[in-house]
Amino acid sequence: MQYIFSSNFTKLLENLKSDYEIYIPVKKGEQRFYKKYIDFTDDIVIGEVRAFEPLKSFFFRAREIVAENFKSDIPHTSQKPYCIVGMKACDLKGLKIHDYVFKNHDFQDPFYINRRKDNLIISADCTSAIDTCFCLALNVKPYPLENFDINLSEVGEDFIVEVGSPKGKRLVEKYSFLFEEIKDKFLSQRNEQREKVTKAVEKNIKENKIPQQDSFKGIIERGYESDIWADEADKCVECGACNTICPTCHCFLLYDQKDENRMARLRIWDSCMIKDFAQVAGGANPRPELWMRLRNRFEKKFDFFSKVANIYACTGCGRCISACPAKIDIRKILNRLVYDV
Amino acid sequence: MYKIKNPYRPIRAEITGVISETPTIKTIRIVPEEPITFETGQFIELTIPGIGEAPFTPSSRPAMKGIMELTVMSVGKVTKKVHELKNGDIVGVRGPFGKGYPIDRFKGKEILVVGGGCGFAPLRSLMYELFDRSGEFKKLFFRGGCKTPQELLYRGEIADWAKRKDLDIKLSVDKGDSGWKGNVGVVTTILDGIDMDYESGIAIVCGPPVMMKFSTKKLLDIGFKEENVYLSMEKNMSCGIGKCGHCRLGIYYACKDGPVFSYDKVKDFSNIWE
Ligand code: SF4
Ligand code: SF4
Ligand code: FES
Repeated sequence: MQYIFSSNFTKLLENLKSDYEIYIPVKKGEQRFYKKYIDFTDDIVIGEVRAFEPLKSFFFRAREIVAENFKSDIPHTSQKPYCIVGMKACDLKGLKIHDYVFKNHDFQDPFYINRRKDNLIISADCTSAIDTCFCLALNVKPYPLENFDINLSEVGEDFIVEVGSPKGKRLVEKYSFLFEEIKDKFLSQRNEQREKVTKAVEKNIKENKIPQQDSFKGIIERGYESDIWADEADKCVECGACNTICPTCHCFLLYDQKDENRMARLRIWDSCMIKDFAQVAGGANPRPELWMRLRNRFEKKFDFFSKVANIYACTGCGRCISACPAKIDIRKILNRLVYDV
Repeated sequence: MYKIKNPYRPIRAEITGVISETPTIKTIRIVPEEPITFETGQFIELTIPGIGEAPFTPSSRPAMKGIMELTVMSVGKVTKKVHELKNGDIVGVRGPFGKGYPIDRFKGKEILVVGGGCGFAPLRSLMYELFDRSGEFKKLFFRGGCKTPQELLYRGEIADWAKRKDLDIKLSVDKGDSGWKGNVGVVTTILDGIDMDYESGIAIVCGPPVMMKFSTKKLLDIGFKEENVYLSMEKNMSCGIGKCGHCRLGIYYACKDGPVFSYDKVKDFSNIWE
């Protein structure tokens, strides 16, 4: 493990600028948002907690053109690859799920792959938790253990650096003059910090009685006919925010520009909570009621993904809890599915 | 740049024929700029420029290369535009997608094909494939139903099929007219008493959801095995490659794992008939 002083970290970012388009979290009010890195400014936060927006948006764009005029080429982006700084453990799990969907499946998605392939992920430990965080319930620790190139653990003003991939190793070697050997006292500082955040998330889990993922097996099948769904979906206004804000949701809609002389196909994020999501042209709809769509959303995350990819498609990031205008709460639904059915 | 084909890009294709089958159903013939071969039961996405895409299972003979026919009922915004197409118009085609009928698994067996209404379209393609490989099967049966004789698709061709020695065919309409000589009643009423061994036979069902539901039930009642009843599932297919999420059916995506499934694979999922 290495160590980097914040002044050297700024230098590292300056150096990376020539190879990457760097995005970094900044704080606005109580939230953190990603912004293109130009200079090191005071509002930059490497630690703290996840950003407001899901980081899938870098690789799976909310809206993009995927075909034009029957041409066989891939409408391309000539920009440099992304370097995403400060990605948290929950969002790394989100990426893992998107990698499964867009890369490791029978078919590959060239748009996702092109954006994902050369990028650099500089992740970071969470140094605090907000009350919607429940990553530990999904066996995600509030500090990255995998799927990063290098990880930063903030200690004081500076960072402990852990290498997580060959690319990360090459980077640290290339810029070795910016890194120091780590001192033991920093490591124990890191452990204390990690413990502190872990405790905070454990407290959230306890207070909200959130079940552990070991108890998720079969909950959808068992709770399929239960009235939990109708009950919980009662106030849903079908806005789809829970899907768009979710780092694991990957569904999209293909639609063509309304111009008969120029064929242009767009892909935009879609939401399975919207009524016509599964409706066929003839009108038949397997999920005409909102509560069926809420059940379907959970089925996809906690039944489908666990069966096809051996992973639950939830990161415990809590974004859907804050985003829902109807206060529909995944923590409560999981609790009811595990304990009330 | 990574070298993967763009799966969302349609291939340009020209309309070379339009046939009115019934007042609400037309068959269009298209010639794609780059040849597309498909297996019977697979589907394609048809693009109407400026309007959008919709999934269709070709109704033409797979062995007929370079040309593809789609039989389309006017039900939505894309299909309405399909009905306005004329010779020389340009459309787009993506695909083929998914898994079609596992014909190789039918070797040496008796095959019963059950069609209802617009379900005749994909079955026409299947029948031609079965005829082309007729020697590989023990015997072919076709049982078809639709509402009225006017709504019967491919009447001329079906009259020719009736002359074939390798095929036993019977049709039924819900409501006959003075010229109708076949059976009257829903299609399930002509599934009894077929001269075949149901236990070992293959059944293929395609049609509107209600017809599929009751036909499947009937076939199981008379002795077909669940794994020998093949259904082609109509879901809201869009991307065709298991990414967009629209066509999920339990642990499958109808677009890549289907659209043809044997009944045992899908029977436990909810709302499969919707
Ligand atoms: S379901 Fe909610 S808590 Fe789970 S990953 Fe998606 S937004 Fe986060
Ligand atoms: S965010 Fe809430 S109100 Fe909006 S669709 Fe999701 S559950 Fe319904
Ligand atoms: S059509 Fe997109 S997942 Fe099946």
